[in-house]
Amino acid sequence: MKQRFRLGVDAGGTFTDFVLAEKDGPLRLFKSPSTPDDGTRAIAAGLQQMAEALDMSASQIVQNCDLCINGTTVALNALIELKGVKVGLLCTAGHEDSIEIRLGHKEEGYRYDASYPPAPQLVPRQLRRAVRGRVLSDGSVHEPLNEDDILAAIEVFRAEQVQSVAISFVWSVRNPAHERRARELVEQHLPGVFVCCGSEVYPQVREYTRTSTTVVNAYLSPVMGRYVQRIDQFFAEHGARAPVRYYQSNGGLALGTVMRERAVNAINSGPASAPQAGLYIAKPFGIDNVITVDMGGTSFDITLAKGGQTQLNRNFDFLRHRIGVPMIHVETLGAGGGSIAHINTFGMLEVGPHSAGATPGPACYGKGGEQATVTDGNLALGYLRPNAVLGGTIRLDQDKARNVIAANVAEPLGISVEKAAFGINTLVNMNMANGIRRISIEQGYDPRDFALICAGGATGMHITALAEELGVETVLVPKSASCLCAFGQVISDVKYNFLASAPMRLHREADLAELNRLFADMEQRGRQLLLDDGFDAADIRVHRSVEMRYMGQIHECTVDIAGGELTAASVDAILAAFHARHEALFTYSEPHNPVELVNLECTLTGLVDKPALPSLAQDADSIRDAHDGFRPMLFDDSGRWVETPVYRGEQLLAGSRIVGPAAIEEPTTTVVIRPGWQAELHTSGTYKLTRWAE
Amino acid sequence: MTQAPHHAGRVDPITLAVIRGALETTQREMTLTLEKTGRSSVFNLAHDYSNALFDHLPEMILQGQDIPIHLGSLIPAMKAVAGFFGDDIHEGDVIYHNDPAYQGSHILDCCMYKPVFYNGELVFWTVCKGHLTDIGGPVPAGYNPAAKEIYAEGLRIPPVKLWEQGRRRDDVVNLLLSNMRARRDQEGDLNAQFGACRVGERNLIALLDKYGVDTVRAAIAELKDMADRHMRSLVRSIPDGVYHGEAVLEDAGHGLGALTIRTTATVKDDTVHIRVDSPPQVPYFINSYAGNSMSGIYLGLMMFAQVPPPYNEGLYRCVSVDLGPKGTLCNAVEPAPHVNCTTTPMETLTDAVRMAFEAAAPERVTASWGHASGINIAGINPATGEQYVTMVLASIISGAGATRYMDGWHACGPLCCFGALSSGDIELLEYAYPIIIHRYGLQEDSGGAGRYRGGSGTVWEVEPIDHEMTIIAFGEGRQIGTMGAAGAVDALPERKLGRLEIDKPGEHIVHRQNVITTIQPGERARNVNPGGGGYGLPWQRPAEEVLRDVCNGLVSIDAAATEYGVILDSCGQHVDAAATAAARQRMNQQGVQA
Repeated sequence: MKQRFRLGVDAGGTFTDFVLAEKDGPLRLFKSPSTPDDGTRAIAAGLQQMAEALDMSASQIVQNCDLCINGTTVALNALIELKGVKVGLLCTAGHEDSIEIRLGHKEEGYRYDASYPPAPQLVPRQLRRAVRGRVLSDGSVHEPLNEDDILAAIEVFRAEQVQSVAISFVWSVRNPAHERRARELVEQHLPGVFVCCGSEVYPQVREYTRTSTTVVNAYLSPVMGRYVQRIDQFFAEHGARAPVRYYQSNGGLALGTVMRERAVNAINSGPASAPQAGLYIAKPFGIDNVITVDMGGTSFDITLAKGGQTQLNRNFDFLRHRIGVPMIHVETLGAGGGSIAHINTFGMLEVGPHSAGATPGPACYGKGGEQATVTDGNLALGYLRPNAVLGGTIRLDQDKARNVIAANVAEPLGISVEKAAFGINTLVNMNMANGIRRISIEQGYDPRDFALICAGGATGMHITALAEELGVETVLVPKSASCLCAFGQVISDVKYNFLASAPMRLHREADLAELNRLFADMEQRGRQLLLDDGFDAADIRVHRSVEMRYMGQIHECTVDIAGGELTAASVDAILAAFHARHEALFTYSEPHNPVELVNLECTLTGLVDKPALPSLAQDADSIRDAHDGFRPMLFDDSGRWVETPVYRGEQLLAGSRIVGPAAIEEPTTTVVIRPGWQAELHTSGTYKLTRWAE
Repeated sequence: MTQAPHHAGRVDPITLAVIRGALETTQREMTLTLEKTGRSSVFNLAHDYSNALFDHLPEMILQGQDIPIHLGSLIPAMKAVAGFFGDDIHEGDVIYHNDPAYQGSHILDCCMYKPVFYNGELVFWTVCKGHLTDIGGPVPAGYNPAAKEIYAEGLRIPPVKLWEQGRRRDDVVNLLLSNMRARRDQEGDLNAQFGACRVGERNLIALLDKYGVDTVRAAIAELKDMADRHMRSLVRSIPDGVYHGEAVLEDAGHGLGALTIRTTATVKDDTVHIRVDSPPQVPYFINSYAGNSMSGIYLGLMMFAQVPPPYNEGLYRCVSVDLGPKGTLCNAVEPAPHVNCTTTPMETLTDAVRMAFEAAAPERVTASWGHASGINIAGINPATGEQYVTMVLASIISGAGATRYMDGWHACGPLCCFGALSSGDIELLEYAYPIIIHRYGLQEDSGGAGRYRGGSGTVWEVEPIDHEMTIIAFGEGRQIGTMGAAGAVDALPERKLGRLEIDKPGEHIVHRQNVITTIQPGERARNVNPGGGGYGLPWQRPAEEVLRDVCNGLVSIDAAATEYGVILDSCGQHVDAAATAAARQRMNQQGVQA
């Protein structure tokens, strides 16, 4: 770090989390309530807390930061609440409806549901305007662009006071000339209106995906632009040394100037830093396969990194909108502390996906909640401290928890309250384990080869049970678990993805010159962006991947490839890697059949030096002072209560070894160590949980 | 149907829920494998496949939320296949089958069955059914309207082992593939099915390792009992009685005129008996063998029951079915030709069942969905010299029916697929085949009129590049419109219908039957499919909702007046309140003249 501090600000829906990393010093965590109408108020409040803690002014803190980093849910919230701007779409005549047809598919889970509504439309049909002019799959122009159609559409947009225009033509990915001309006309006739083109936002094959991605970008970018401007200005006024960096869904940082053109790249900015954080936490243990799990009040986010590499998702539905651009693969489940346990129409126990949220919240909050939730289960099991006070106002009422579980679960199923509470816990663990299978086994990875990294306030109570369910042997719980995403931001790099498309049969005689040209072009643009941002050439990394399939398949496998000029020899290596990947994912490969390359991707990373992890003093005996009595807990469905020792995490020092059953209470989280597990506190401030046999 | 089997003891409710989740994850991973590896666009773009798990009985223990047409027929098909081999079923066997004489749906739907053994005992079957793009026979893609007998349609595959005790029978696989066009695609799809069955097997064995056979079996028995209890409770809510339904099948080219399928649903306490009366089978490819007809029965039932997942055979335990005498349209026997049966008459049979339930429980039933009226395309790709053939799934994406809650979804049908299809990206289709897709969009005025409007159907318009393209039409819904519900009525029924339009220089041809035709570069074929049925009285639809539809080009200004009694100014921007009130009062008194 070139300066004393680095600041990470993760603005979530409820709280804004702050991590202030100090060079050779401690990691400080702060939280303030989020202020969605103007995010700078929450940031100012957080800076004020830091100022008091450090006895400095807010401006002094900012001025002593080498980087200020912001993860934000502003785009996400606008998409959830449908509060983006009014968008007009210019599209190829005959294809105005692709974003409403959505390939004709209704989502699973609702096949016979007569009340499940269609997906929300970001552009009403009357603002989706047809433009004649047609490019074919080889890039040739079948019909010239009809500029009158564009001008007529512009008049409609003007009359309708459209604030943003998305342009997406069929096969623009092979020939963007028509989109570029349309863009010129829109810029000329509608000054001040945001414009973006499919061939820029998502230059890959698939018209529906590209149009949808472009529309989402057009819908959100003006909102993001206003936000970025406000945040940039706030930090500039405090004398920031460098422009604020924003966290993207691809797991890297970007400049505000890039962000306000590409809000679609920042939709899942929050949880995207989790795998980076997980890798960093795991590094002192020599582990580079991590699954990071983050359980909050309403949801459970899972991410995976294998061999130190994060995983990206492309071309998938996010909040019922098809998004093409690479995003860190986050599997989100409706499984949080507030998830409601209920008996379904068949008479079967289910937990989630509905949540009691923060209000009324779990029944044990005593704020009027009348549904049994996961938190109620954890309180009834003794994992949470009865009468503990949350956030200064909520007192956990164990009787309320037991009563609601009795009424809503135990009695209908004819089982005891203890068994019901343990059942809720087991079921939510199973839901989470199935989610972890989705992100690991379905991607060809065995979860037993990974360490689980515990993030978020509620995860610690489930983590050893979850590990048992999956057969995982190692769990890491950082003391910073509840702010892990903000931590992930301060240890991230600047990262830009560039995409291209060149469908071709891949063999030694393929048109490698075209591929080399496309890679060189993407790389050059990325380098320039990073060099202009002040990165040394030595700190720029290039990563390439291609998407491939067997001739005739439609879905591709992503295969990472080496840098440098592609040659006949490197083609052999790429093909071998593809066959191996296909085999790992789907149990078979077809090495004798022709292979097709479809899409190319080039990721440029500007390396940012990382703050060091804190270093705790060593004192294995600290366990004695930290011991805080016993509490009865349940660890199976026998109904047998176990007097379980509880420890104050703040008083534990490195080298402390705690054998389960036990619980460690940190200020913002509780870690339950099931029988058969032990925890050892590492100097980096992370508990390592492993299996233990007497 | 079989009697409820007796099961001793109950598994504890938590283990039950956990095992349920494991089964669902297994089925999901099978589906994912097929989708990602399938070779034909029908598989990988269109999701025209289905996965299911069966127990040792064999009863269906989990049906995915895939194509309804496949899943109903899988129940009798699994039993027929297991019965065919009897004791001769061993670890490592993989069975393949498509033959309707053994309860298959139609011969394009090829199904793989893999018995799952545990400690030498057969415990499960993983089953994967998918629509291959070709199955041999005289017409590419298998839809041969000229066929008078099943022998003229394509390759029948009675139950046959492709793997025997772990060894692939290359001779048999070669025999099958040698009878199909686009062999590489078919082989890829067969591999994909094998991958899916194996992924399923891998997961189920892990489940048995964890809980043991006894617990898993007890849980499965309980899951089926729960489904049974739920369906019985729904049936019990219907007053005892005999309810009638009927639906008319248009003459899509056989020349025998319209055919009527009648059903009766006899409800007694918590059971329902469904009887089908259909005309004698015809020498045209719309005969439905028993397995396929069960899909139509079950879909009609589900449109009433609207049950959330999970789905297993227990749901149907209280339902008994009589498909009528053998040799009739819905209980066809050799040599009846049948390839069109998964859409026609399956959808008409579904409608007839739906009507019987509408008579029984009018408040529950939804309007019908647009029937499949689509095309297959075939030709020689001028760039490669290779033959191509595919069903165009985008050409059958019709409108969904309106419900008592809301308008029907646009572009979500056809009825027989109920939203489970995916039509595939147009760029991927244009890349795979030498075609230009000039239009894939919603069709104005196609949604059925009602308090809740039916969803719009779609139009798919194609032109071949540098070659002659063969177009093979199938299905129906080009003469008889989609049924509404709860009083919905179409004043402009002609606009709701499907059709195949061919534009040639100086010529515009409209086909309302299943034709085989060719077009050249510069000519276009435009397939229009029907919208969904409306729900409730059209003149009770709020005028502002009609106005919004007009602004969005879903309803024309004249249809707003004729069908909904909403009178707009000539620009279609404002409602004339007085004229609208008068028109609606008139409609309320006189109804509409359809």
